[in-house]
Amino acid sequence: MIENGADVEMLLEISDLKTHFRTPRGTVRAVDGVSLTLERGKALGIVGESGSGKTILSRSIMGLLPRHGVIREGSVKFRGQEILGKSTKEMQSVWGREMAMIFQDPMTSLNPVMKVGRQIAEPLMLHLGMSKAEARQTAEKLLRDVRIPEATRRLDQYPHELSGGMRQRVMIAIALACGPTLLFADEPTTALDVTVQAQILELINEQRRDRNMSLILVTHDLGVVAGFTDEIAVMYGGKLVEKAPTKVLFERMKMPYTEALLQSIPRLDQPSHSRLAVIPGRPPDLVNPPKGCRFAPRCAYARDRCLTEEPQLTVAESPDHVYACHYPVGSPEYHERRVELSKASTAVGGSI
Amino acid sequence: MRFWLQRVAMAVLLLLSVSALTFGAMNILGDPLFNILGPVAGDVNNPDSVKLIEKAKAEFDLDEPLVVRYGLWLSDFVRGDMGVQFSSDGQPPVSDLIKERLPRTATLVLLAQLMAIVIAIPWALATASRAGKLSDRISTMNTFFLVAMPNFALAIILKFVLSIKLGWMPLTYVANDPLSSRLWQMVLPALTIALPVAAVFQRLLRTDLITTLQQDFILMARAKGLSRRRVLFRHALRPSLFSFITVVGLNTGALIGGSIVVETIFRIPGIGSSLVESVLREDFPVVLAIVMIVAVAFVLINLLVDILYSIIDPRVRR
Repeated sequence: MIENGADVEMLLEISDLKTHFRTPRGTVRAVDGVSLTLERGKALGIVGESGSGKTILSRSIMGLLPRHGVIREGSVKFRGQEILGKSTKEMQSVWGREMAMIFQDPMTSLNPVMKVGRQIAEPLMLHLGMSKAEARQTAEKLLRDVRIPEATRRLDQYPHELSGGMRQRVMIAIALACGPTLLFADEPTTALDVTVQAQILELINEQRRDRNMSLILVTHDLGVVAGFTDEIAVMYGGKLVEKAPTKVLFERMKMPYTEALLQSIPRLDQPSHSRLAVIPGRPPDLVNPPKGCRFAPRCAYARDRCLTEEPQLTVAESPDHVYACHYPVGSPEYHERRVELSKASTAVGGSI
Repeated sequence: MRFWLQRVAMAVLLLLSVSALTFGAMNILGDPLFNILGPVAGDVNNPDSVKLIEKAKAEFDLDEPLVVRYGLWLSDFVRGDMGVQFSSDGQPPVSDLIKERLPRTATLVLLAQLMAIVIAIPWALATASRAGKLSDRISTMNTFFLVAMPNFALAIILKFVLSIKLGWMPLTYVANDPLSSRLWQMVLPALTIALPVAAVFQRLLRTDLITTLQQDFILMARAKGLSRRRVLFRHALRPSLFSFITVVGLNTGALIGGSIVVETIFRIPGIGSSLVESVLREDFPVVLAIVMIVAVAFVLINLLVDILYSIIDPRVRR
């Protein structure tokens, strides 16, 4: 933050964050030593498959974890203050006020038996000490901010009377209510119609700019984060495997995993009915993670070294781009294997 | 509107069939004439007895066919006349007997139901939020103890400890005391009925609360910064109440059953003790009246439960 100049405020500094769950099967290392920083007003995308630890990472930063059986180590500094050791009671004044979260499923994340207006008014009355009438007025304004038509009428409706997209807008209104500085959005569009997805992302992005909030957008979809983030962090097996400014990442990705994630998105320039590239195998078992690189067992470019020696985060050509791979995209070994692979696939293709 | 009309029609049908079945069963399985007159009913050779028999037959319409007698009873009943007792010279009339005794039982049952709810809800909230911990496990053992304990045993234990040893509670019910002290005398009997019922309610609500606490909207409520207590009361409780109120409604029958034993032990002259006496004496009009009152209470309470559903959950509103 010193080298970037005094005008940049570092909102979040995470170092070596670990979040382990004790289960009957053993300790699940859901987040296993992640370091990240986020500036005020910037948007960070956290990308990974299901089970990569991205949701747990975001909840762990916020401190929103089950009360029992969780081990949380490392350091999370929010506005320069260490918040990792804080009790739930202390965090309650941060939640909803400084940090807010938009959850994945708007169908189940709103209380079904409480009027929408009350649900938005709740944090306003709690954190900002508003009266019922003030909170109601503010709730109405918030509903307008998230572009819900007939805001006044909606206040007295129940969630089941609203559509999915509308409910997600209500969730955004609740999250924005107290003007948080850090907004988490955990797969905010996964449960929605494709047509609504873009609108919701656009809305979140616009509110982020207007309110100078920082955003952590958690998603499995690289396509989603592309247009809405300044930086992208790729998670695999509880670890950070690549992190770069969004543009740099898409131009010069280093991890074969990042590449594979990108290739699993359907593309318009491919002929129709062409098969989507899939990543074979399953995410690693986080009770007994593989020795060496956690992605190695599924990686087409893995060699013996990958299976035994764990790659450390390395700085790429630009200093804000880091990755953890022995044979990154663009290395001689990578190219060698790539040639072999393409030969093999044409051979198989020919025989069919 | 149509839904409620249907509900009322169903209730009326239910009450008619309960009354017809009870009426029919008692008249077919027993001999009303014998129950009215005792051994005299069989003494057909004695002219004095015959006179009594003729008189009783005329008074109770015993020569009419069963269906007609049912019709007569029904038309009297809906007008508030529950007939004449078979025994004790027919005095007082059944309606007066019920009028005198029903308020006591109603108070007892209502008090017990209220106590059970008031005990069960905080108990369930406390255990559900600490599910699986030591305090929860101790509480589970207690519930099993309370449920397994027979009513009369619990009554005797409570009476022995609280009334006799500690002297905190009155021993028995005195019908002529002023209202306030009679209510106070009701507390221990009501508690006896309420404790096992509260234990059942608590088990049920605890399970539903634990399920609700795993819902996404609970995490959302926590993320708003609400305190644990607020999350529990404001967000978790209401959506967890469905099976709870269903069972509270259905359980009214069990409460009335419980009151029979408890009224006897605490000497409360309510309809529970009347029911025992009248069944033993086969005093049909009294039995029938009590059965009908219980049935009406049951129907009304379950109607209330249906109304409560729509208050608790906006999604079932029509």
